[in-house]
Amino acid sequence: MKLETAVADDVAEMQPRFFNPSQFAALRKLSETLMPPMNEAPGAAEAKAAEFLDFLIGESPSERQQLYKTGLDLLNTQAKKRFSKASFAELDGGQVATLLAPLREAWTFDPPADLLSRFLRAAKQDVRAATMNSREYISAAASGGGRRGAGGVGLYWYPID
Amino acid sequence: MAAKDYDVLIIGSGASGGMAAYSLAKKGVKCLLLDAGPQVDFQRNRGLKPVYELPYRGFGKPGRLSHVFQANEFNANQWVDEAQVPYTHDPKQPYNWVRVRMVGGKSLFWARMSFRLSDYEFKAKDHDGFGENWPISHADLSPFYDRVEPIFRVSGRKEGLDQLPDGQFIEDKSPDSLASKRLGEAGKPLGMTVTKIRRSLGDGSLASSYNLLLPDAVASGNVTIVPNAVVRELSVDKQTGLVNGVHFVDRQSGRELYAKARAVVLGASCLESTRILLNSKIANSSGALGHYLHDQFYMSNSVVALVPEARDGKGGRGLVGGAGYIPRFRNIKTKEKNFIRGYAFDFSTGGTPDARYFPSWGEELQKDLDSARGAGFAATLMGEVLPRFENHVRLDKTVTDAWGIPVLNFQCRYTDNEFNMARDAVETLGEVCRTAGFEVLHRTDKMFPPGYSIHELGTCRMGDNPKTSVLNKWNQSHDIKNLFVVDGSSFVTGGSQNPTMTILALSMRASEYLAEQLQKRVI
Repeated sequence: MKLETAVADDVAEMQPRFFNPSQFAALRKLSETLMPPMNEAPGAAEAKAAEFLDFLIGESPSERQQLYKTGLDLLNTQAKKRFSKASFAELDGGQVATLLAPLREAWTFDPPADLLSRFLRAAKQDVRAATMNSREYISAAASGGGRRGAGGVGLYWYPID
Repeated sequence: MAAKDYDVLIIGSGASGGMAAYSLAKKGVKCLLLDAGPQVDFQRNRGLKPVYELPYRGFGKPGRLSHVFQANEFNANQWVDEAQVPYTHDPKQPYNWVRVRMVGGKSLFWARMSFRLSDYEFKAKDHDGFGENWPISHADLSPFYDRVEPIFRVSGRKEGLDQLPDGQFIEDKSPDSLASKRLGEAGKPLGMTVTKIRRSLGDGSLASSYNLLLPDAVASGNVTIVPNAVVRELSVDKQTGLVNGVHFVDRQSGRELYAKARAVVLGASCLESTRILLNSKIANSSGALGHYLHDQFYMSNSVVALVPEARDGKGGRGLVGGAGYIPRFRNIKTKEKNFIRGYAFDFSTGGTPDARYFPSWGEELQKDLDSARGAGFAATLMGEVLPRFENHVRLDKTVTDAWGIPVLNFQCRYTDNEFNMARDAVETLGEVCRTAGFEVLHRTDKMFPPGYSIHELGTCRMGDNPKTSVLNKWNQSHDIKNLFVVDGSSFVTGGSQNPTMTILALSMRASEYLAEQLQKRVI
């Protein structure tokens, strides 16, 4: 006999606890910019990519944690310095694009020395995967609304005794 | 029940140990085959899961398997856990030691690339004066390659190249894509050849010791497989100096056990075989044991490009699609200024380059990806690494594994020959791609740590001189006549070709020699 069960995400919300509120607000804004909803496929907001990354980065080695915290702080200070806004989350599209300019540089195997560039490059990959591997994105892809390239079903190796 | 007497004790059940069991069993030799891992049940141990059901959404548990770049959240449990079997290295000189402990070993998971070595490797010293020649030539090993290839059902296309001898192929008659042909034309003036990959088809789903070698061995009634047997060390008869048994530990319970044998064949993987010998304190009168560690440096996505005509969904069959192989072409007829030996590429066309290679985000990135979909070209560079005495493993007596067995310390780094070769390789292929009309998105000559290719070789090298080599030309210890090592550790040089076919052929040759010696009562 097998009872039908639900997953926690269907009945509850992820509680961000690693980033401070201003860092988290910047991460959310950044995620939604990098992965907006497109062609009826959900974006980072619907996929709760920022909430997931709060968990993932919180579990990660300290170097990764520091990169994210510093990068998000930099986005907030730049918003103040260059656009006189309280935070990155308050910027308009054009202003955000100005701060994301380092992503215009060609990708290199070695991470760039500049901290903001390095952070943005990591975030671009992470937000994308966190979105495309989400239940929301994959369900939309399965029902025909999503794009190709969604994370899929894989052959999982269970722990071996 | 009392310990039984076996003719031969084989340690390891992957390509090399599996081939030893297969070959010895056919000659009627009674073998005990130990493997450190379990026999996996593919039905029970694996299952389909959507990525969002994994705890880390496919990212994997942060920090786990940090040396295994091949690991992901789906396959994390198939690799040896470094916490259980650690190894040590200087943090500035990392080594990626990638291991599998299961019956069938890494042959359960290999990419199945199936090439022969040529006399450019076996007699490498004759070409450029570096290092040592092997004590055998392609002619010695060819009859064994001839028999191994049909077992593994190697597909390929004959090219008649001296540096990549043809084999007993299932002929690959599929036409080359237009992109592949253009690449071939562009590379021709440099002496490049574009051919089909050579790949073991096996039974389709698997081309492993597990399904191609071990079933016959067991069916013969001559081979007893014992899984979960973690070898501690070999024992030596003090009177004769010969090996006479093995101390091992039951993986799950930790019970200590001992089995006797008339002869021992090590096929535990290059570095595990060497670790067993170092822990047994034997077979090292030469001082070469653990030394001359080499592999091939691999650089995935060393050149990433687009075939412009295939953009916007115009690719289709005929223009792009499929994989290809560019065998070594450097230092064959010409002589390079700043490196010896050579490199090879394998490539694929018709994929989509990763998002990271596009300088955009959001909707713009999506448009870039939509346009590039199916128009991609990506090449993995595989370069020869020189076997140097300085690159070695030794015991680290301060650290033991989960069974109390001392672990290996790695002293290994690449030097200018590898760096110069890598630089030449990506510059050259980048140019050839441009000549072929491809749009180059990215190239890199930055190295992954040694070991990344999972082609570790050397550390028990063979040779005619017992003072400079561990094994003779039959993979037999110079010091101990009833001890054979049949895995990649016996390599003198590795070339740029994937080593599995050579390991299989060497193991078959050594095992048949051992069977003969046992029959003649020489051993």
